[in-house]
Amino acid sequence: TGVFAADFVAKIGHLESAQQSRHVHLEKVAKLVNERTDGAVEFQLFPQGQLGQQREMTEGVQLGTLEATVAPAAFLGGFNPAVSILDIPFLLPDNDETAQKIRGGAFGEALCDSFNSRGVTCIGLWPNGKKSFTSSKPLASLEDFAGQKFRVMDSNILIEQFNSLGASAIALPFGELYTALQTGVVDGEENPLDTIQRMKFYEVQKHLVLSDHGAMEDVILFNPAWWASLPEEHQKTIVDTFNEVIPELINHKAEAVAAALEEIKASGIDIREMSDEEKAAFRDKMYPAARAAFIERAGDEGENLIAVYEKEYEAAGAE
Amino acid sequence: MILFALVIIVAVLLLVLGFEMFLVLGVPALMIKEFFYGNLPDPVVVQKILGGINHTTLLAIPFFILAAELMGEGQIARRLTGLVKVLVGHLRGGMGYTTIGGSMAFGSVSGSAPATVAAMARMVYPEMRKAGFSDKFSLGLIVSSAETALLIPPSITFIIYGWMTGTSVAKLFVGGLAVGLVLGLAFAIMAALEARRSGVERGPRTSWRERLVAIREAGWALGMPVIILGGIYSGYFTPTEAAAASVVYAIFVEGVIFRELTLRKLFAVTERAAISTAIIFILLAMGGLLSYFITLAQVPSAITAFLDAIHAGPIMFLLIVNISFLIAGMFIDPNSALLILVPPLYPVATALGIDPVHFGMIVTLNISIGMITPPFGLDIFVASSTLSKPVLTIISGLWPFIIANLIVLAIITYVPDISTFLPNLVFG
Amino acid sequence: MKALAIIRTAERVAAVSIFLTMVALYSANVLARQVGGTFASEFAWVEEAVRLMSLFLVFLTVGLALEKGRHAGVHTWRDRIARATGLPLRKIIDAVGFVFCIYLVWLGYQMTAFVYGMGQKSPTLNIPVFWIYLAPTIGFALMALRFALSFFGRIDRFAGQASEE
Ligand code: NA
Ligand code: NA
Repeated sequence: TGVFAADFVAKIGHLESAQQSRHVHLEKVAKLVNERTDGAVEFQLFPQGQLGQQREMTEGVQLGTLEATVAPAAFLGGFNPAVSILDIPFLLPDNDETAQKIRGGAFGEALCDSFNSRGVTCIGLWPNGKKSFTSSKPLASLEDFAGQKFRVMDSNILIEQFNSLGASAIALPFGELYTALQTGVVDGEENPLDTIQRMKFYEVQKHLVLSDHGAMEDVILFNPAWWASLPEEHQKTIVDTFNEVIPELINHKAEAVAAALEEIKASGIDIREMSDEEKAAFRDKMYPAARAAFIERAGDEGENLIAVYEKEYEAAGAE
Repeated sequence: MILFALVIIVAVLLLVLGFEMFLVLGVPALMIKEFFYGNLPDPVVVQKILGGINHTTLLAIPFFILAAELMGEGQIARRLTGLVKVLVGHLRGGMGYTTIGGSMAFGSVSGSAPATVAAMARMVYPEMRKAGFSDKFSLGLIVSSAETALLIPPSITFIIYGWMTGTSVAKLFVGGLAVGLVLGLAFAIMAALEARRSGVERGPRTSWRERLVAIREAGWALGMPVIILGGIYSGYFTPTEAAAASVVYAIFVEGVIFRELTLRKLFAVTERAAISTAIIFILLAMGGLLSYFITLAQVPSAITAFLDAIHAGPIMFLLIVNISFLIAGMFIDPNSALLILVPPLYPVATALGIDPVHFGMIVTLNISIGMITPPFGLDIFVASSTLSKPVLTIISGLWPFIIANLIVLAIITYVPDISTFLPNLVFG
Repeated sequence: MKALAIIRTAERVAAVSIFLTMVALYSANVLARQVGGTFASEFAWVEEAVRLMSLFLVFLTVGLALEKGRHAGVHTWRDRIARATGLPLRKIIDAVGFVFCIYLVWLGYQMTAFVYGMGQKSPTLNIPVFWIYLAPTIGFALMALRFALSFFGRIDRFAGQASEE
């Protein structure tokens, strides 16, 4: 912020802590956008849920109390059932480039467009890592999951994901999860490695499977009125800047994940990598159930989106 | 500046003139909205009011209030306090230690200071008075002992701090246990001094036979702490679920075993607990609204700029940390203070070489103190509503404890070993 | 005043039944988890439901609490100041409280209507989210009613606070 007040000020709220990849790159975008618009556009960042839970922030973006939010797709299903497609396990391929083809292509565009009828303007998707499983009980094979209790975020698709493995899906607030894992209220959970490290879940878990099964995609949402008030050139600058930092964001996340894995390894918990064949077996088991749960909720719109996705998935050459 | 002064004047005026506390918080909040954030759509006020109470972890408060009302109305509370009296009644001030120990145990599992006040106050207040403690001291001790809920594990405050800073939660838990015990010890010393000063009588020493009889008498009542503590530590339920389970157990024991809880009584007790819940939650709701505006004011960047300007060393820095938290704790919900203040302060702390676990203890102790400092001290209002005592009486009983708290805070702040010795011993 | 008696009974019955249902649902949740398997997953909506119910518990009871003079506040000096200054302080509080609550009813209505228009649903129960904003809207209306009745001397909401002087 300089001596001159910016013409367009946007408060951007999100849930992650200030050291995590999302915030670090939001700071980068804020700086670049400010420079590139000669100070006309200023982003004020409010990390770690200072402005409320995700539901409140998304509502705020609709209402105009908040100009933008960068939201995990998993928290947006109530606003836009179509976005829950991202909750489907093994949706995006392992390879970063192939995944970006799908995220940045027709599928990503269709998904983003589906927000525009919901009182928000989606300007793009950001990758934010992939989930792995941890548990206090062995997770050596697909069969091991049966009978275990896993904590899930509020999402019917994630519930189906665990049901398809014969496991229990338990709803618990994030803040209570550490203690619940410690005492054994639930056996396991699923989160990206850097979250597992930051939340210290590995301190209270015995087994970690590097499964990369769930894509954590962020959706960048702006208030439509604020967005429309921007001159077109500024809109373009913002969209381009958000897209431009994606490779950097992916690298930053990868480094954070690698560092997290080092720390987790040092704790001595049992870690194993899921093989490609095993991932395929998991996908075969989980995809149909989660897909059905998604279509049940998202209706025709969901069916169309699934069709776009499946076409893109094949075209991108994912196995 | 003039507008801001006006807001403060109105708040003080409403407080002194005896307006309901939710108006004392709510009316100035609306003024802040109009004066400083006029361009925000007005319905945001309702959104943030609701946001202040729409949290699953807060559910422990109504459930524990209901359980406490059921136990107080029936036999469980009487039998439990009867047992305690037989065991420690011969110690001078034994009821004081019982209040502290009980609050520490209950606070440990509930993790919520207001829930601890709500559950303990009805049970121990009459007994403390009977034992000869003054009204003010009893109130002060009950309210302040509940603070340990945030320090003694498990504690969501530490989990949030760990998430924000990347500090080991296990280490924070162990450190919190040490700091919580120091705080409990400080209160115990105060209880001992007060008992001596005001001539609290010793009860007769009881024989082991009498004690065994009392334990048998307590029977079903003893199941309550066993279920809550045992249920949580053995993984049957979360602290919030334990609160609900304690209600079911109380209804079962009072209704089926002691056969004194009629449907009519159950209705009356539940209604009373609902009213206590409403009184607390409407304040939390208004607190949510105020915290929102304070967040929007971007206080963190002002603090960072100030710290940059004065080049504080560790001693000065920690003093500023404590003062910032104490001031914030006077006016906003302490948990919001955590979210707002840790991000600007933590990087400075690490740059000055302050141990993250140690800093976590300082922050959490500050937040605990915020629960009991006027004017916005949630625990004060909980005690006021559950015991029907004037707010001012409770505050006047709290001063000695707030001072004791500040002394403990100074010790914890400037003797890092208290916070870090145990965690380092356990985790190397 | 018959209407008030009906409202009061409705509030009490609603608060008590909501509260006890919350307890029952949470306990059922614990038991279901002991059973385990996909059966336990069937109860994933309980957390969201109980949280929603707690909002109604609070806002259906705030009016009763006001009528009984139970809301927290520093009442110690109020009547003394009123006597010393000759100000009708109780009436002033009632009037300010009424205006405050009515304004919040208006905002609550706007928020409810806005979220209704957006059509957003809750994640596991799949019910419309505008319901949660109905709670404070109703709650502030119930308090506004009490402030008004007290202003016109139809109820004595200060009786319970007499002992505090
Ligand atoms: Na605790
Ligand atoms: Na306070």
